[in-house]
Amino acid sequence: MSAVLKLSNVRKSYGDLHALNGLDLALPEDAYVALLGPSGSGKTTLLRVIAGFETPDAGSLTFKGKRIEGIAPHRRDIGFVFQNFALFPHLSVAKNIAFGLENRDIDPVADPKVLAARVKDMVALVGLGGLEERAVTQISGGQRQRVALARTLITEPSLVLLDEPLGALDANLRARMRSELRAIRERCGVTFLHVTGSESEALAMGDLVLVLDQGRIAQSADADTIYNQPQSPSVARFLNCYNLFEGTLSSDAFIAPLGTFPLGGTSPRQSGKPGYAIRYDRIAVRPLTDTVANDEVRLEATFVADEYSGAAINSFFALDDGRVFEVESHLSQTTPNALTPQTRYALVWKRNDALVYA
Amino acid sequence: MTMTAATTSDAPSETTAKKVSDKSLWLLAPGILWMLLFLVVPMLMMVYVSFWTQTTFKISPILTVQSWVTFFTSDTYLSALWTTVRIWLIVLVATLVVGYPAALYVGLFVRNKTTQTVLLVFCVIPFWTSFLIRVLAWRPMLGKEGAINLILQALGIINTPIEVLLFSELSVVIGMTQIYCVFMVGPIAFMMGRIDPSVIEAAQDLGAGFWRIFRTIILPLTMPGVVVGAIFVSVMVLGEFATAAALSGRKVNLLGNIIVTQVGSLKWAFAAVVGVVLTILMGIVVAALLRVVDLRKAL
Repeated sequence: MSAVLKLSNVRKSYGDLHALNGLDLALPEDAYVALLGPSGSGKTTLLRVIAGFETPDAGSLTFKGKRIEGIAPHRRDIGFVFQNFALFPHLSVAKNIAFGLENRDIDPVADPKVLAARVKDMVALVGLGGLEERAVTQISGGQRQRVALARTLITEPSLVLLDEPLGALDANLRARMRSELRAIRERCGVTFLHVTGSESEALAMGDLVLVLDQGRIAQSADADTIYNQPQSPSVARFLNCYNLFEGTLSSDAFIAPLGTFPLGGTSPRQSGKPGYAIRYDRIAVRPLTDTVANDEVRLEATFVADEYSGAAINSFFALDDGRVFEVESHLSQTTPNALTPQTRYALVWKRNDALVYA
Repeated sequence: MTMTAATTSDAPSETTAKKVSDKSLWLLAPGILWMLLFLVVPMLMMVYVSFWTQTTFKISPILTVQSWVTFFTSDTYLSALWTTVRIWLIVLVATLVVGYPAALYVGLFVRNKTTQTVLLVFCVIPFWTSFLIRVLAWRPMLGKEGAINLILQALGIINTPIEVLLFSELSVVIGMTQIYCVFMVGPIAFMMGRIDPSVIEAAQDLGAGFWRIFRTIILPLTMPGVVVGAIFVSVMVLGEFATAAALSGRKVNLLGNIIVTQVGSLKWAFAAVVGVVLTILMGIVVAALLRVVDLRKAL
């Protein structure tokens, strides 16, 4: 699959803060790409640099085979859907959607009939039928989100940048819009670059998931690989489903301040910084008196509290150094034993389930 | 049981809310009293007095339309009416032409709030001196021996002083534009500041150039500011007399100047007629401006 957009060694700093720090990136054509990063990782800066609202300090941006640094945003053929939607408050839904076609510098559509037909098609595509003449202040959050998307898609950009597009929606609507956004993209056949701070959103939506860390792409892979094989401890941290330990690595064990964890058969991943990660749902909680099998690792901790989330229960333990250790028990697989607060338990996992970084 | 309890407990809270609401109305009393005594009653009196009989040294409450007939049949007074309207229109356009770009710059291109505040404070610095000093300060600027003529002569741009700069309609327009421009800049800059920068970026991203964005987004979104500024400027300019008296050398007679002269000669009935005409004119102007934008919706 050829790349529609390539970024090479892109840098952007604000004073001493390096928002983009030698970033390399390649986005495939006709794909839904999710960009995951914590707050302050440079997500929005990256989008603004690609869109042309910010000029990079260094590096190159190649879009459809042409360098685009120095080209004005309105001449890049890249659409941008803003986090707050940025709808034109004085225009109706239809006028908002038609804006790009009617007012663009290059090849504006002047024929009202053509314009109306294009708006009608776009309204049907995003499911806004019947709301064309409404003011954008009189529609719901989800509808505003669709207007913002339709307004961008009608100009037929080759790449659409979505800056946390679901962030302003409530949980129900967010879940529904995930599948709708994917469906709309498939119908349009363009690349969407969807920026989000939510790991579940990134994993659910991206054909390709990019993880941004400290102004660089820390990992680029499909959702399954990202989730099961995070490339570094920091990627594992963003996924919000791994307990992480720092320490040193010996030939047969990971030595953390709280204990020594024997290694399984898999060789450690190279990440530049030693680390040990075990997923929340790979851990069993047992009484202290239970014995441990040869292929298991054991750690003692004090149970603090648990949190019921419908399909699972998340139990929180205090480690001896005060850090929190989390265990997730899926209720469809097992009914966890009731735990007594402020009581010590053994937390046990298979050696091979842990991810070890060298 | 629960229902009964709920109903019983709701009743007193409704009564309390009503009492609070009734009591809060008293907060309006001083304002209403003030407006009644110093706005409504004087306006009614002005209308009433305009129909009194005026002789050279005496005014009597015998109703007549003589003062009204005099106003509408005299070239002098009709000319003053026309001059007032003309100067108002010129000053309104001038404050808009000078003020809008300034507000555009402060409200849209300066994103640093501190710099914005500093620039707006610069706009109001002239108001740290009294109105009369601000008006009279134009004389040493615009006179034959004034700063502007001296500079232009020193630069060799003119050989003889431009006399039209002072004691003319132009000097009145210059003075009023400077004095009232800030009332146009303020509301427009406020509306500019309310425009979400991402809205402008969205328009850019959709392919529109600056002038398209200005015409289709910025101008419509700042129209409430233009209307509010225009109302401020209009009301003040239509009622003006001091600037015309100080800078026109009595060559420009506005309705305000006629009122001052008539009150000075104790011709209360005629002054009242001009006052009523001026009030109606302001009412029409404000009503017309309010039709341009629905301020309740826009703000």
